[in-house]
Amino acid sequence: MNIETIWISTIRMSIPLTLAATGSIFCERAGIISLVLEGMMLSGAFAAVCGSYYTGSALAGVLCGILAGTLIGLLHGILSLRYKVNQVISGVGLNLLVTAVTTLSMQLLWGNRGNSPQVQGIPHFTGVLSGQSVMTFITLALTAGAWFVMMKTRYGLRLRLTGESPEAAQTLGLPVQKLKYSGVLVCGAFCGLAGAYLSLDHLNLFVREMTAGRGYIAYVVAIFGRYHPVGALLGALFFGFFDAFQISLQGKGLPPQLFVVLPYVVTILIITFAVKNIRQPDGLGKL
Amino acid sequence: MGEDAVSMRGISKRFGNVAAVDRTDFHIKKGEIHVLLGENGAGKTTLMKMLYGMIQPDEGEIFINGSLANIRSSKDAIGYGINMVHQHFMLAGYLTVAENVVAGWEPDNTRVFSYKNAVETVRRLGGQYHMEVNPERRVQELSVGNQQRVEILKALYREAEILIMDEPTAVLTPQESDELFNVLRRLKQEGKSIILITHKLKETLQIADRISVLRDGKITAYGIDPEKTDQEELAALMVGRNVELHIQRRSKKIGKTVYQISNLSLGENGGHKLDQIDLSLRKGEILGLAGIEGNGQTELIEVLCGLRKPGTGSLILNGRKMNSQAREFLGNGIGHIPEDRTTRGLVLSMSIEENLMLGYHHQSEFQKWGILRKKNNRLIAERLIKEYGVKARDGRLPVSALSGGNQQKVVIARVLHQDPDVLIAAQPTRGVDVGAMEYIHHMLLELRDKGKAILLISADLDEIRSLSDRIAVIYEGRIVSEKMSDAYTETELGLLMAGGTQ
Amino acid sequence: MNRKIKVKNGMQALVSLLMAFVVSGILMAICGYQPFLIFGAIISGAFGSNSAIVQTMIQATPLIFSGLAYIFASKAGMFNLGMEGQIYMGGIAAAAIGGMNLGLPAPVHIGLTLCAGMIAGGLFGALAGVMKACFGANEVISTLMLNFVAINLTSYLVNYPLKAPGPVAQTQNVMPSAMLPKLSAHSQLSAAILLAVFTAFAVRYFLGRTAKGFDITVTGSNRKAAQTAGVRIRRILILAMFVSGAIAGIGGACHITGVDRRFVDGFSAGYGFDGIAVAALASNRPLMVLVSSIIFGALRAGALRLNMTTNLPTDFISVIQALVVIFVAAPMLVEDLKSSGYKLAGRLTGRRKEAKEQ
Repeated sequence: MNIETIWISTIRMSIPLTLAATGSIFCERAGIISLVLEGMMLSGAFAAVCGSYYTGSALAGVLCGILAGTLIGLLHGILSLRYKVNQVISGVGLNLLVTAVTTLSMQLLWGNRGNSPQVQGIPHFTGVLSGQSVMTFITLALTAGAWFVMMKTRYGLRLRLTGESPEAAQTLGLPVQKLKYSGVLVCGAFCGLAGAYLSLDHLNLFVREMTAGRGYIAYVVAIFGRYHPVGALLGALFFGFFDAFQISLQGKGLPPQLFVVLPYVVTILIITFAVKNIRQPDGLGKL
Repeated sequence: MGEDAVSMRGISKRFGNVAAVDRTDFHIKKGEIHVLLGENGAGKTTLMKMLYGMIQPDEGEIFINGSLANIRSSKDAIGYGINMVHQHFMLAGYLTVAENVVAGWEPDNTRVFSYKNAVETVRRLGGQYHMEVNPERRVQELSVGNQQRVEILKALYREAEILIMDEPTAVLTPQESDELFNVLRRLKQEGKSIILITHKLKETLQIADRISVLRDGKITAYGIDPEKTDQEELAALMVGRNVELHIQRRSKKIGKTVYQISNLSLGENGGHKLDQIDLSLRKGEILGLAGIEGNGQTELIEVLCGLRKPGTGSLILNGRKMNSQAREFLGNGIGHIPEDRTTRGLVLSMSIEENLMLGYHHQSEFQKWGILRKKNNRLIAERLIKEYGVKARDGRLPVSALSGGNQQKVVIARVLHQDPDVLIAAQPTRGVDVGAMEYIHHMLLELRDKGKAILLISADLDEIRSLSDRIAVIYEGRIVSEKMSDAYTETELGLLMAGGTQ
Repeated sequence: MNRKIKVKNGMQALVSLLMAFVVSGILMAICGYQPFLIFGAIISGAFGSNSAIVQTMIQATPLIFSGLAYIFASKAGMFNLGMEGQIYMGGIAAAAIGGMNLGLPAPVHIGLTLCAGMIAGGLFGALAGVMKACFGANEVISTLMLNFVAINLTSYLVNYPLKAPGPVAQTQNVMPSAMLPKLSAHSQLSAAILLAVFTAFAVRYFLGRTAKGFDITVTGSNRKAAQTAGVRIRRILILAMFVSGAIAGIGGACHITGVDRRFVDGFSAGYGFDGIAVAALASNRPLMVLVSSIIFGALRAGALRLNMTTNLPTDFISVIQALVVIFVAAPMLVEDLKSSGYKLAGRLTGRRKEAKEQ
């Protein structure tokens, strides 16, 4: 095992988690339960491959991914806010829907339920930063930006107030619905980007259900990071490490099933033992 | 006479088939404190929510300073200089005072938000109105009185000219109320108009410049001069008939101790929630527990009903040590009327029948070999509905279909049907109308006369004083004083509740 | 009154199902397929012949179990999304016990095998229950993560220690004494379906008529009121998750002992997740699960046949199921869609009339 490879791999695995968890922070701080991250990511991953497939441009693919994630965010927002659906059910329902629709679309487009053809991927640096994805730096910049918006802007204050107490926001004359929609849409965009990264950064293709629970892990990362973008970044590195570690064990003749589960087991342990005293926004799930 | 600051004309609001407010006119002069009096459900809050733009009237017009106002939302209302302090504070507990005050109306008027500026602004504002609150504290760490200050600061910060206060004294001690009234008087002198919603008569006479009474959605008396009226007249106007304001019938026969609570302590997060509490509940006596909410009453109730294990101390019921589960407490004759019937007392989505056995459904009266006795349970429910006058067509209806007073009757019927030796009655009349309140008061006295031991916990000091034979005062988890109730003066109780010593 | 609510919920579910069909039909049309053709093929594939009906029943059986499992947990206010994993755990336990040559008479061996599946699934469910009750762990997350654990764990077992000789990752066949009897000599249908129907009635009776069941429903409706009423919430949550997992586990065990006769890696094919849709369509009512399972079982059976005979895309049925979950949870949305559908229909027929008049 090589420490440098694990480190690089850790960064690579933590990028989608960071992005999705940061998205989750916007959603949950606006008071909407974000158990829809998985679907947002999966739709982003799929749309990114489609975009790249049809235009031949990775950038167009990424934009498609962001758009698709945002669309799922919009659906979650409409179901939760306009139709007052239980936000857990809305999230899980949309996750099921995205899984079904992406599999179906693969079959329709490429006649294959398992995976898509290879497409143009996101470029990696050469030279000094050789091997690093452009996305690494975009992710860092977005995390910093998310922190600034959440903590240092008028919008961030209003969003947090709305998530903590929608009634208070209402009586202050704040546009509660708009603010909540903004939170869930930003979340969708972040997750769409995270999904695009999953499909276009390394494999350069879409595999059925390729998010493999990362949306739920990112949900835990957001809590673990105390709903703070920097916390989310650190939390994602933590989870990313276990993923990287697990990958480094592969191909060594050991049964892969035994360490593939490592990230999931860590997630279970964290949600059980490490987040008990972390406060969720008071208005979470309220309308 | 100055121009009317607010003039509401021909206002109506219906919810379903019920007219909450019915073609009502209401006017407030500039620079007055106008008390809007009425019992629960009379439509006071609905009327004021329409002024504050939270709900829209079905018909009628609102004029502000003489010109027609188009108030579609709270934002519009704030634009007209109207602000409302709600009975349940509209605060985000986790955010700081400064954040709560300025949100939505930030000082710099730029997209970037300077927390430092906000803190400074709020500090200055507090100084200006003599309402100092540390702007950097989280709101949830403040006392209720200080949270109310934050609410008022929010309004002042938005340059409110017209301030609506909904039941502001409900959670305050008499001293805190006095302090609030001083603040309100100062604001009046600065030319602000204040509408104060309440159902408390004494404070109405104390603070009002003029009084209006609302009953069943209509103004039944407008602009009464407080100098020319008294509590009895106001009560009659409010209820529509003469009412017995202060039932006072002390116990004739106080018996031996039934439930002995000794040296009870409960710690939480390093602090004491309950600290060495000794109380004894005796046969034929109502013991009133006076105190400001949040001083350990909830925790004490939970311990006394077996919902929580105390850290130290013992509970002895009829000579038997109690240290097991809530179900055993219920089964051994401790009846519990929970302080919040909709969240703790009832399962709203379930039927009246099911709620009438809730908590006792494991007793052989309701089940055999673990199987519920459906037919038998239905008969019991039908009997109880009749006996306790629950207004319901059918026991299979969900409890949510009942009014607050009738829901409380379901809770009471359930508990009393078991004939408990001890009754823990927490806020038994909260949110019920005057009729139901009278009923519940009489019932408590009747039970006492039958020889039950009753612990009455209420935020309403008048209720405690009129019903209790003995009063214990709780402050920060400790019983700071205990005497026969007639040995206290109101001021004395107020001071004790606020932590003052004699 | 209660009956009225039940009928209303039933209608709501039915309309949601129709709506899901309509939406996915429109989707098919957009993709250039003939929706009626596909639905027709699915229906004839599901009910067109005796063997088709049998296939529908076979597909419906695990759905009954997982639908009931979901309902049981949700009555206690818990989202059990781990049924997929519980099915695998139940399946592997059944394959292990059923594969042993214990020299027992068939009824005993079958009972033992099913019990093993039940307990394995139940314990796996209870794990999430304990994590929720004692540590407050969000059960949506924990059950989903446990799915991955179960799938990989069983995959390891059938790839290594329990692997039968041969290229396929599967266990050895269960002993004949552990196989569920067939209902008739000629069909594949086993007694599993009877057990499923029995379970549905048992769940209904338990939740509706017993004091323990009352504890569970109260806990699910209002946890604070339940606590005040002396219900031991933690125990109830763990119990509910145990029973829920156990039901799913029996489902897995039945599939092993009644259909596949051995544990094949990844055999479940989403039976657990489909339980969510089954429960939604049944409006969370145990007996209605029987109906909704047959509907979704028919879709699955029809799609299987479709898959064999044509290359029409069969994932439409997953879309339908997901839409049912969403629509049933969103009555207001369904109302909106209904009225805009009427409007559209009105406009279309209006136009047609105009055209005729011209």
